[in-house]
Amino acid sequence: MGEKAAKWIFWVGTLVSLALFLALTFDTNRRFAALTHADRLDDRVVAGKRSFERHNCNDCHTILGFGGYYAPDLTRAFNRIGEDGIRRRLEHPEAALAASYRKMPQQYLSQDEVANIAAYLGWVGGIDNHDWPPRDSAARWKRSTDRLLASAALSPGAALVEQESCLSCHTLGGRGESKGSRLEWIGARRDAAYIATYLADPEKVAPGAQMPAFDTLSPGQRETLGEFIVSLAAGQGR
Amino acid sequence: MTFRSQSVAYPYFVVALLLFALQIPVGLWLAVNYFVTIPQSAVDAFPFATARAIHTNLLVLWLLLGFMGATLYLVPEETGTELAWPKMAIAQLALLAATGVAAIVGFLFGWTQGRPLLEIPRPLDILVVVGSLMFLANIAVTMIRAKRWTAVQGSLLGGLLFLALMYLFGIPFYRNLAVDWYCWWWVIHLWVEGAFELIAAAMVAFMLIKLTGVDRRVIEKWLYVEPGLSLFTGIAGTGHHYYWLGAPKYWLWIGGFFSALEPFPILLMVYDAWRSVKERTQPLLPRLTWVYLTGMVIIHFVGAGMFGFAHTLPMINYFTHGSQVTVSHGHLSFYGAYVLLTLTFFYFAIPRLKGFPGRSYEERTGHIGFWLTTLGVVGMTLAFAVAGVLQTYLERALGQPHMVAQQPIRFWMLVVAVHGLVVLAGVLLVVRHLLTLRPARLAEA
Repeated sequence: MGEKAAKWIFWVGTLVSLALFLALTFDTNRRFAALTHADRLDDRVVAGKRSFERHNCNDCHTILGFGGYYAPDLTRAFNRIGEDGIRRRLEHPEAALAASYRKMPQQYLSQDEVANIAAYLGWVGGIDNHDWPPRDSAARWKRSTDRLLASAALSPGAALVEQESCLSCHTLGGRGESKGSRLEWIGARRDAAYIATYLADPEKVAPGAQMPAFDTLSPGQRETLGEFIVSLAAGQGR
Repeated sequence: MTFRSQSVAYPYFVVALLLFALQIPVGLWLAVNYFVTIPQSAVDAFPFATARAIHTNLLVLWLLLGFMGATLYLVPEETGTELAWPKMAIAQLALLAATGVAAIVGFLFGWTQGRPLLEIPRPLDILVVVGSLMFLANIAVTMIRAKRWTAVQGSLLGGLLFLALMYLFGIPFYRNLAVDWYCWWWVIHLWVEGAFELIAAAMVAFMLIKLTGVDRRVIEKWLYVEPGLSLFTGIAGTGHHYYWLGAPKYWLWIGGFFSALEPFPILLMVYDAWRSVKERTQPLLPRLTWVYLTGMVIIHFVGAGMFGFAHTLPMINYFTHGSQVTVSHGHLSFYGAYVLLTLTFFYFAIPRLKGFPGRSYEERTGHIGFWLTTLGVVGMTLAFAVAGVLQTYLERALGQPHMVAQQPIRFWMLVVAVHGLVVLAGVLLVVRHLLTLRPARLAEA
């Protein structure tokens, strides 16, 4: 490689990357208003941001994952502990964190400042940042709620599993035989409707299936069995 | 030293080293905060946040003064002329050092811009800009008057202009937090993975030319390729900071792709240094300078390249973002890429500035200092990494509350602090050694 080629690598590499970066910056800037719902970014929120900076909160806490790493991330603090929780910690950190092994300084904030910081954190909590942090992920909470609701209807499904002797072929937890698939694994792969249809006529859904048809059960009972099996799916997240 | 005005570099080195020595004990105090419960009254008087602002700003200040000193040493030799205004260089050092001290005293009294790493209050920012303009004018005018351009100068001046330009994006107040962080990274990321890389490449090339005796044209050719690839991956690679701040989803692809390539230019630097050493026409002396250069090249690659790559892909970063994993990467990469670079340059330049015969110096304490500091930093980095992986698993994967997940991390912060003590011992030795560098005795030389 000669010096000329080396110069080309420098200029082409730099300028291509720079052009791409500036173009995307332009586009991102256009879309920030919608992604951060900037319409709700009022004077109180901005005053809250100024207070947040004046008291150097960000050198202990992280927010959107950036900052001091020493204290909890504040991206979803408002969603997690609400305005009252934030007020209590800001007004009387010595009391709120009396039992904690890490303290927060008492900064004697005015009532206005406290209210503004709470408004600011409320606004931050609504930024659409691809569901980060995982601990506060909306998708993960939804999955956990789905499982909770599914297990509330546990007994009728469990009764049907007993009544139809499913465990003479399948395994559930530590019980049953291993001729068929483990029920928890079925639940992780299939939805309730699929299982209900399958129960009515296995041969039709999966030709050559070993399992007998449970066409004597009512459609409602098959649906219940399906929901029960889905509720057994091995835990993901919470 | 070939030119009289090169001597202005020395006071820069001295101030930089003193600030470096001050940075480490503050860092130790930060580690203590993690495993000891500091009483409320002490937290009220001197919060973690203040100590962190001091620790990081001292780093930035001493590195920048180190780079500036290196530049002032390098430019007369590259251009073959005296500096345009050597006295202004001294005035500028006084201005920047005073600004830095004012900022740090200000932090203690709660005077801050309140944005991590950019805590210097806005009125002082103006002084920083004035100081930078004095510096840039001095360098640029020297180069222009000399009318002799080399790739080393180009890379250096380009890096310094880029550095100064990006600083401006850190000054305004931004209403929208997402926009704020977007621009914050123009300063932080484009400094360390853009401007600093250009300056570093120039400094390394300059030292390699002088130390190995390899033909300048060969080394300068790589001086185009290496920064070219650094900037190609580094500029669009800024996207790896834009995953979770409220920016559009395409940044996950752009950031992931470009930052996955970021280790390659560093690998090229490793190869480049190795090749120059192989083709050298001069012996590798003094040994300690070479120990530093080798350490810099290796730890730069491990800290910035490998530790960076480990958590740069979006599917991993979703869990590691904003945890001690970042802290681990930050410490090793800054040490490898920029601390060792600056110290290497000091060891290269000071014997020349002081006119030691054969440019050799009494090395013994320096070796002990290097190994204590390096092993300390590596141990500290590994302890941060364990803490980071624990935090990632407990808080991000299992969903434990932050303070519950922090509990088992406290032990690893104790391990960090123990290594921090080793670093402190090493750094004090290095600083004392450099400030009292003596020519080698004839029997040894």
